[in-house]
Amino acid sequence: MSFKSIITQKEDQNIFLNRILFSSLLILLLASIIFIRLVFLQIYDSDQYKLRSLNNTIRTQSVPPSRGLIFDRNNNVLAENRPVFQLEMIPEQVQHIEKTLDQLAGLELINIKKIDALKEKIDSSYQFKAITLNTKLSEKQIAIFANNRNIFKGIDIKTRLTRYYPKGEIFSHALGYVGSISSNDYLRFDSAIYTGKEQIGKTSIERDYETSLHGYPGKEKLLVNVRGRVMDRLDTQPFEPGNNLILTLDTRLQEVAYDAMQGKKGAVVGIDPSNGEILIFISTPSYDPNKISQGMSNSEYAAFQNNKNKPLFNRAIAGQYPPGSTIKPMLALGGLEMGYINPDNFIPCEGHYFLPNYSRPFNDWTTHGSVNTKRAIQASCDVYFYELAVKMGIENMSAFLSNFNLGKKTLIDIGSEKKGIIPNRAWKKNNFKSKQNQSWFKGETVIAGIGQGYMLATPLQLAMATVMIANRGSAFQPHLVRAIENIKTGELQYTPTEEINNLEHIKEEHWDIIHQGMIAVVNERRGTAYGIFQPNVPIAGKTGSSQVFSIDKSSNKEVPEELRDHGLFIGFAPLKTPKIALTVIIENGGGGRLAAAPVAEKIMQAILDSEKKNAL
Amino acid sequence: MPFKKQYNSLSSEDLFRKFHIDLPLLTAFLILFSISLIAIYSASNSDINAVIDQSIRIGISLAAMILIAQMSPLDYERIAPWLYSLCFILLGLVLILGETRNGATRWLNIGISFQPSELMKIGMPLMVARYIARESLPPSNTSIALAIMIVILPTYLIYLEPDLGTSVLVAFSGLIVIFLSGIKKRYLAIAFSLFITSLPLIWPMINEFQRKRVLTFLNPEKDPLGAGYHIIQSKIAIGSGGLFGKGWLNGSQGQLDFLPERTTDFIFSILAEEFGLVGIAIIICIYLFIVGRGILIAINSQDLFSRLIAASISLTFFIYVFVNISMTIGLLPVVGVPLPLISRGGTSMVTLMILLGMLMSVGTHKRLVTK
Repeated sequence: MSFKSIITQKEDQNIFLNRILFSSLLILLLASIIFIRLVFLQIYDSDQYKLRSLNNTIRTQSVPPSRGLIFDRNNNVLAENRPVFQLEMIPEQVQHIEKTLDQLAGLELINIKKIDALKEKIDSSYQFKAITLNTKLSEKQIAIFANNRNIFKGIDIKTRLTRYYPKGEIFSHALGYVGSISSNDYLRFDSAIYTGKEQIGKTSIERDYETSLHGYPGKEKLLVNVRGRVMDRLDTQPFEPGNNLILTLDTRLQEVAYDAMQGKKGAVVGIDPSNGEILIFISTPSYDPNKISQGMSNSEYAAFQNNKNKPLFNRAIAGQYPPGSTIKPMLALGGLEMGYINPDNFIPCEGHYFLPNYSRPFNDWTTHGSVNTKRAIQASCDVYFYELAVKMGIENMSAFLSNFNLGKKTLIDIGSEKKGIIPNRAWKKNNFKSKQNQSWFKGETVIAGIGQGYMLATPLQLAMATVMIANRGSAFQPHLVRAIENIKTGELQYTPTEEINNLEHIKEEHWDIIHQGMIAVVNERRGTAYGIFQPNVPIAGKTGSSQVFSIDKSSNKEVPEELRDHGLFIGFAPLKTPKIALTVIIENGGGGRLAAAPVAEKIMQAILDSEKKNAL
Repeated sequence: MPFKKQYNSLSSEDLFRKFHIDLPLLTAFLILFSISLIAIYSASNSDINAVIDQSIRIGISLAAMILIAQMSPLDYERIAPWLYSLCFILLGLVLILGETRNGATRWLNIGISFQPSELMKIGMPLMVARYIARESLPPSNTSIALAIMIVILPTYLIYLEPDLGTSVLVAFSGLIVIFLSGIKKRYLAIAFSLFITSLPLIWPMINEFQRKRVLTFLNPEKDPLGAGYHIIQSKIAIGSGGLFGKGWLNGSQGQLDFLPERTTDFIFSILAEEFGLVGIAIIICIYLFIVGRGILIAINSQDLFSRLIAASISLTFFIYVFVNISMTIGLLPVVGVPLPLISRGGTSMVTLMILLGMLMSVGTHKRLVTK
């Protein structure tokens, strides 16, 4: 410690004061910089930061809407939403996750094979968010869980809505089914109105009326913290439920038809001729849409897809079959109208038809003797129509059959419809690759006369053609949805029906002749469906058998099932004011009379019975 | 009689003076401590235990301050070399025997675990001040060189821990004394230009972690969820507070945990969010008042040593405030310096209050005019 003079002390002080002054100015400068910066942050840019602060903490979550219900024409529920019980875990509330999972598996509440996948899912999820352990608990599982609830802290049963189809497989091809949303679905539908949690229509009505059925999601504004935990609900905007659908289908008839089709492969389509409403729409074998909608394992689904009977295949609109003899009334009408045949002329049928320059004869299924137009329809004489076909030529035939809406889509209100084939020269040229196959052969005209060869039609197309026969020319666009019920206003928006008539010019007496033929099919001796129906029923019909494979008829008994003929039946009833135009097709059923006509009989009898009841 | 009259008029001010307490400073401290408790309650999501813990730390710190203030500046001058040497040895021991937490070796365990670098915050200004004050101002070139050695050696040891923030602050508390002693402006200019030109050379020597901090500071939006997260969330908190703030316990950035480290390094952001520009302007004014009062004490004190330590303490205190606020508003990189007297913390608060106790001691101990 040195002693300093007064003078040096003064000097010291001056230097020090000098530096202190400088430092103080620096302090004020730095403080000003901070202050200016704060003014920029808190006043100038404050709005921007306020927005960013809100974006940090407010999450908008959408709430899936409840899907519209589907009813039949008599207000029977066909599709509804039912709660399913699922097992959920909130990981942060569970002490020993592994031990708990093992215990749950021990009680068969979760699948023991899924434990590893669940553990992984739990590790990678928010610990406060519920994780689904089992998507569908059976009643027994619910009871087991209820008995052991106290040992499973942090685990609970939650409900969620899934689609339920009370009639099961009876309506599945008409209604379709729902499933979880795939990336393809997002391409097709407006992803903005999907929350990702709901089910989406996958096929048929569920698919093609998706926008009506789905509704609009609600919104919940949530206050969340940095880890996403919900701290508060700020605002809720309820969802708008989807609209209900009222179908044209009639549950009672559908059940009768499905019952009659038990164990058979094929399709039944029944249309109300007065308005195009589809009353019956069946494709068998069918499937249980509840199983698919509630989620099935990949192996279960694969088994479905690989089933050789193709239960997922919608035969009613996508199955294409040779119409066989069911084409005969229509061809006869064309022949009469164009003057190629005279209804009163009888021609001989000896069971064969010879075409010049063809070595082999075209066989009839039996020898009919002498037949006119009515008899040819009644007994389904092939020779009569071979001759007619040759006289008309393929171009006239295809032009006339197109009037029955064959060879083009009916534009029914569900998708994946096939359009069938009405062949002619142009069609063959466009659809074969090699030059030699592109030219049309006369023999092909001959077999087209009995609905064989290249000719194909869907059950729906044949039903629509039957409507035209029943109505003497007119038909309506076939449809499955009768009305959409606006859930907010309660208003019913009916599907508009458009009348189609390409056959106005046909003379009444010509309609009379083919109607007489078709009535005789059912009601007169030698009619191909005679004896199947009750005597003297007001039903007109036509059977058909289409060959799957060209075989010698005499050895029919040993033909394996998948090579047997398809059996067809078209018809309408009652005669005066037809209530139904029906098509039945049985794949490999072995002929229209034996396979298809009995199914048609059950359905038509049910309709006639209820008609009688109503009349009383 | 005059004596008796004097005795009767012994005011409360005289009473405080008798216990070497500077009333204006104490008042300012108590206001800041109250703000600290309010802010910690909010920042800890209304955890009353955090407030109680902080109250205990405040009590201990105040006691330490009053205790230290009873000593005279002469005592500090006497113990300065011993304290400095002890700190230096302890810093050396840290590097050999220290505890490592989060990749940094800063703690020494002698029954209780503490950071010797904190102690050096006290030892450094005392030692440099004593060394400079032994001769008249301005100091000779050799004195300056030696004083710089006194600063650099412990600074380097702290930097090795690594603890960049503390080493810079410790260095600052020593260098400020050299600056105040009247080092020639020429030397200052040379030192400054040397520092700037050496930056590219120092850059590769700084470890990865520190470099990342600096880069993040320069462009926080580049990595908003990683290294830039602190700065961005802090700026959102401050900016969204606006002029009057969102109200106590209503700051969403803090209450919903978006703001990290909010009871310690980023407590300023909580205050800015909940009390707005008006609130923090008041707080900044209180800090400036403390600094101003400290400078006044320095100017009024009558010997060089006292003057130097009082000024060093005041300016260092300001630098703590400046560095902390600057890092919360994105003016400086995040270096982990708490907000003086408000941030939650034990040793750092005790250290600071010891320094402020010395300031009070300088302000209240009258020494002989001639010495």
